[in-house]
Amino acid sequence: MNIKNIFSINLKWIRAFLLLFVSFTYIDLEAAEEAPCKDYGECDEFKHSLKDMSSLQSGASTFLTYCYGCHSLEYSRWNRIANDLQIPEEIFFDNLVFDPSIKPGDLMAGSMSKEESAKWFGVAPPDLTLVTRLHGSDWVYTYLRTFYEDSSKQYGVNNLVYPGAAMPNVLAALQGNQQLACKQVPVIAKNGGEKRDNSGNPITKEKCGFLSIEEGTGSLNQEEFDELIYDLTNFLTYVGDPDKVERERIGWYVVFFFIIFTTLSSLLHREYQKDYH
Amino acid sequence: MSDNVTKVFNWVNHRLPIQNTYERHLSKHPVPKKVNFWYLFGALAAVVLIIQIVSGIWLIMLYTPGEAAFSSIEYMMRDVDYGWAIRYMHTTGASMFFAVVYLHMFRGLLYGSYQKPKELVWIFGCTIYLAMMAEGFLGYVLPYGQMSYWGAQVIISLFGALPYIGESLELWIRGDYYISDITVNRFFALHVVALPLVLIALVFLHLIALHEVGAGNPEGVDIEAYTDEDGVPLDSVPFFPYKVLNALVGIGVFMTVFAIIMFFFPEGGGYFIEYANYEEANPLVTPAHIAPVWYYSPYYSILRAVPDKLGGFAAMGAAVAIFFVVPWLDRSKVASIRYKGILSKIALVMFGMSFLTLGYLGTVSVTEHRKTMGIICTFIYFSYFLLMPVYTSIEKTKPVPDRL
Ligand code: HEC
Ligand code: HEM
Repeated sequence: MNIKNIFSINLKWIRAFLLLFVSFTYIDLEAAEEAPCKDYGECDEFKHSLKDMSSLQSGASTFLTYCYGCHSLEYSRWNRIANDLQIPEEIFFDNLVFDPSIKPGDLMAGSMSKEESAKWFGVAPPDLTLVTRLHGSDWVYTYLRTFYEDSSKQYGVNNLVYPGAAMPNVLAALQGNQQLACKQVPVIAKNGGEKRDNSGNPITKEKCGFLSIEEGTGSLNQEEFDELIYDLTNFLTYVGDPDKVERERIGWYVVFFFIIFTTLSSLLHREYQKDYH
Repeated sequence: MSDNVTKVFNWVNHRLPIQNTYERHLSKHPVPKKVNFWYLFGALAAVVLIIQIVSGIWLIMLYTPGEAAFSSIEYMMRDVDYGWAIRYMHTTGASMFFAVVYLHMFRGLLYGSYQKPKELVWIFGCTIYLAMMAEGFLGYVLPYGQMSYWGAQVIISLFGALPYIGESLELWIRGDYYISDITVNRFFALHVVALPLVLIALVFLHLIALHEVGAGNPEGVDIEAYTDEDGVPLDSVPFFPYKVLNALVGIGVFMTVFAIIMFFFPEGGGYFIEYANYEEANPLVTPAHIAPVWYYSPYYSILRAVPDKLGGFAAMGAAVAIFFVVPWLDRSKVASIRYKGILSKIALVMFGMSFLTLGYLGTVSVTEHRKTMGIICTFIYFSYFLLMPVYTSIEKTKPVPDRL
């Protein structure tokens, strides 16, 4: 047998080897990365609605009332937001802009100096113009809802998504006092089902780390609060990418143009191909 | 044509070889009549090159290197009419450039396009790829986000690992003791002037060399062997209008994909624009997870597969450099994978898979298992090239037809 033959046979062996290689390399795809929302696990899903003006307006109002004192939106301009959110400039500046020296075209540079705030909080509250693009809207939406009481911290609160965050829970009066609680959860057997004792009752164990709100301590109920945070996150999503709606609107035309372009050139190409086929 | 226009044309044509060039490189340039979609990526690369140059010129008008780099990008995206379009065109173009060139190079490996007499076409191509890698790296530093900074930190420090000259070379590249606006300024000059000039010159040479020896085809048939009485290959058609129309169809499909990305998914899920780069560079805070943009990630994995920094750098360099000698590693009598033997086929599949796996590994954090995978894939990557002289010469090839 000459050497060439040895290499052109044994396809089976080679196929098996290929299969092994593929499974070996791709089996790992889901290997554990750190959970995106840290102690909370997977972030809660957030679906933006950038055409919902009332949501954006309410988010802007919440932001300017509760957050702008510490956080700037330094790449964004006042009148741009008023225009995009369809708030008449007069109403906008009378009701939402608290500093009379601000001119419509100014950047929203914040009302606190970075040095001073760094002294107070240990870190300067970061600019939030791009926060939804940096961490994702899911992250922001979850972060703002997962503050809990923790007396070991400077402001008496900690956060599941951002453990050790130096931000006080500025919305506590609305949300109420949120704490980490423990509860009984069913023990899961190896096969995925719930474990039961001899009389058929589920076996449970205590698990901690669940968020629970002390009833009657906040001015909003949980649903209202989640909606407030939804609007706020929606607004921050808009601020992160203010041209998204316009971009996608134009995008349809451009894609449509290229589809027509492709169709026409393909018809012409076929016609010319007849010359040499 | 009216008489006067003809006169002017003739006047110019006697002084500048317009008609000659047009006929030689377009209207009468013979190209193989039967090729497949793999042969479109060269034209697409040329299209992206033009997109990058044009959008780049507009970006220069709006971008400020140095301290204001990060904010100048944000202002251009927000305050300038269609500023976002210019910027996303350029970022999408960068990823598409590499996607298209990777496919173009893979075509070369698939159909043996580097074989005699196209060695120089291939070598100019490899040099283009090298220049593109440098161009992409320099450009990525310009927006001066966290990934710009820390990516540059990782890459520049590799030069510092070189013996003797390392430290002074590192200093010389940065122009400062740490990455600063001085570094950004010089990277800007290189990114917008020096390397584009090099790239354009190389593409020119690439195409001139190609037109000198004639384009290949997926069969690996030498079409020059059968010509008509004028010396025009029988299995060829003139470039204009036939191949231009063919390319237009490809360009149409490509631009549709391009537009979908640019208008709807400009971040490409964090692969085309990395999310961490939405934070301004901060020398005091290392990002949790430093990953290069996707088109460098296979090489980043090779770098990480070697425990020693200098060794990793050398392996990474070798992984790119080895492309240059492929024309001399392939000992096969045939060019196209269609007529090569089973060993070449397996080798190419293994190479492709190891390249993709390395690419994936370069974007995620390291675990023990992934490290092992990285080492195995690096090994396969190099085996593809180093064993090529062996498997291409011992395997049984199929006979190549005479005509297309
Ligand atoms: C009293 C000042 C203060 C107020 C008011 C405030 N924050 Fe903060 N915030 C901070 C500080 C300080 C940090 C930095 C935390 C850290 O990094 O440890 C922070 C961090 C954040 C972050 C995380 C940013 C990042 O990139 O890590 C988000 C998101 C955020 N704040 C949103 C808000 C929103 C929305 C509001 C309004 C409801 C708000 N903050 C009100 C002080 C404040
Ligand atoms: C800016 C980047 C590049 C441009 C604009 C470009 C352009 C082209 C064009 C227009 C062709 C003819 C059409 C085709 O065969 O696709 C071509 C052919 C070729 N290119 Fe490139 N190229 C680029 C990069 C590269 C690289 C990186 C390589 C390899 C490392 C390469 C290798 C080749 C080879 C071998 C051919 C000949 C193919 C054949 O005729 O069989 N090119 N190139």
